Amino acid sequence: MKNNLFLILCFLIALLLSNCNKEPVFEEYMLDNEITFDPSINNPEEFLVSAKYPQPTSEDLEKHILIAVHGYTASTFEWGEFREWSTDPDYRISQVLLGGHGTTYENFKASTWEDWSESIQLEYEKLEDLGYTKISLVGSSTGSTLLLELVESGYFNAHINPKNIFLIDPIIVSSSKLQSIAGILGPMLVFVESDQSAEKDKYWYRFKPHETINELNELMKKVRKGLEGGFSLPEGTFLKVFHSKHDPTANSLSSVLVYKGLTKADGGNIEAQIMDSDIHVFTRLKIRETVSAQDIDNQEDAFLQIAEKLK
Amino acid sequence: MKKHLFSLILLFIFSSLNAQNLNLGVKFQKTHSLYWENGLSVQYSFKSFKPDQFYIGVDYVTSRLGSAISSNALKQDNMVASLAWHFRKNKSFRIITKLNLGIFKADLEEEIFSELPSGTTIIAPELGVSYDFKNYPIKLNLGLGFNANITNGGQSPGTQQPLFYHLSIFYKLPTKKETDEK
Repeated sequence: MKNNLFLILCFLIALLLSNCNKEPVFEEYMLDNEITFDPSINNPEEFLVSAKYPQPTSEDLEKHILIAVHGYTASTFEWGEFREWSTDPDYRISQVLLGGHGTTYENFKASTWEDWSESIQLEYEKLEDLGYTKISLVGSSTGSTLLLELVESGYFNAHINPKNIFLIDPIIVSSSKLQSIAGILGPMLVFVESDQSAEKDKYWYRFKPHETINELNELMKKVRKGLEGGFSLPEGTFLKVFHSKHDPTANSLSSVLVYKGLTKADGGNIEAQIMDSDIHVFTRLKIRETVSAQDIDNQEDAFLQIAEKLK
Repeated sequence: MKKHLFSLILLFIFSSLNAQNLNLGVKFQKTHSLYWENGLSVQYSFKSFKPDQFYIGVDYVTSRLGSAISSNALKQDNMVASLAWHFRKNKSFRIITKLNLGIFKADLEEEIFSELPSGTTIIAPELGVSYDFKNYPIKLNLGLGFNANITNGGQSPGTQQPLFYHLSIFYKLPTKKETDEK
């Protein structure tokens, strides 16, 4: 019996040591490598209103600005469809690239959730300094969780209040079995490789370092704890949360937790809508293997509702 | 869930009439990275089959008695029947393997969330240790369990997560034989 236990222990230690040396292998087309970068890094003026209009006119300042925030491992590509869809001259879109994203695996590995959030704050403050007063925010997946964290931490107490916040499939609790125990399995996992197409590899990191999964868990925990205690929106801010009914990544109960824990400034309920969908971030349909008529309707529905509030 | 609690009490009364070992306790359960869910636990071993070694049990734990007390945590209930095998029979310190089978239900409260997955079955193997105080009718049980039937794909309620651990404190009820001896 003791011999068997000893052998099992040796096997586990060997497994741990062999995995610790595991390194991801990158193809040329992957976002993770040192060749491919998010285009907003070299051409910020094509993605950020603050870069495109550094000296806004009074007419520019009248416009609504929507800061669009992508999710964990994603890039500015995630909100590209809304930009293409939007033809309304009343609003402009700033597609921010989260800190640690869109560059290399090593940069991503070294980043914290606070780094991810910094890009949102930087663009918000630049727009505020330039004189914009009608700023709204939309986040998908972890982008939504980061926006909730900004509200929960009182960030807007020192800044102008956003006009609107839209949350698409926020992640507070995960649908993935491994997510919550990544902190325990971390050293053995080293990284988690996403089962995604080569096309998606160009815009999403394929390899998720366990350090960043822990960061995501910390962010989710902070926001969940905040929601359990309850917090409210800044005065005059409208918020609506949308969630896919069977979201395979951010469990749909995340939005129930948001609804229970977050109230309007006057204490009233926020708005929520459940979409008849089984995809994560239902507002992004490009480079999906299959797209149903229902998926297209869902995207159009959310886009119309967002655009309507930016008039 | 009240119906299940009533069944639990009936089972407890019935069992106490013919038990080799009957333990009634409180259970403090924590889902890793999520809620505290606390409640009651009953263990029973037969006179005629592997006494004090093979146990059946019924547990009810809920966040209503844990994280959801005066917070916005989801109110959720777990009703579980279990089969357990105690190694090191007649020793104070024991190793326990257990299989939990039951139901999980989260109360989503609002009509707009009525179509979301809120209930599921529980299939959870568990490994634990217990300590039996010989001079007191008290037994402690620590356990580490894994919810094995959580499905990827968003079909399971997200507030049921894979890993959980618990502490149960049991009061060992005097059995019929012990009562007769007194």
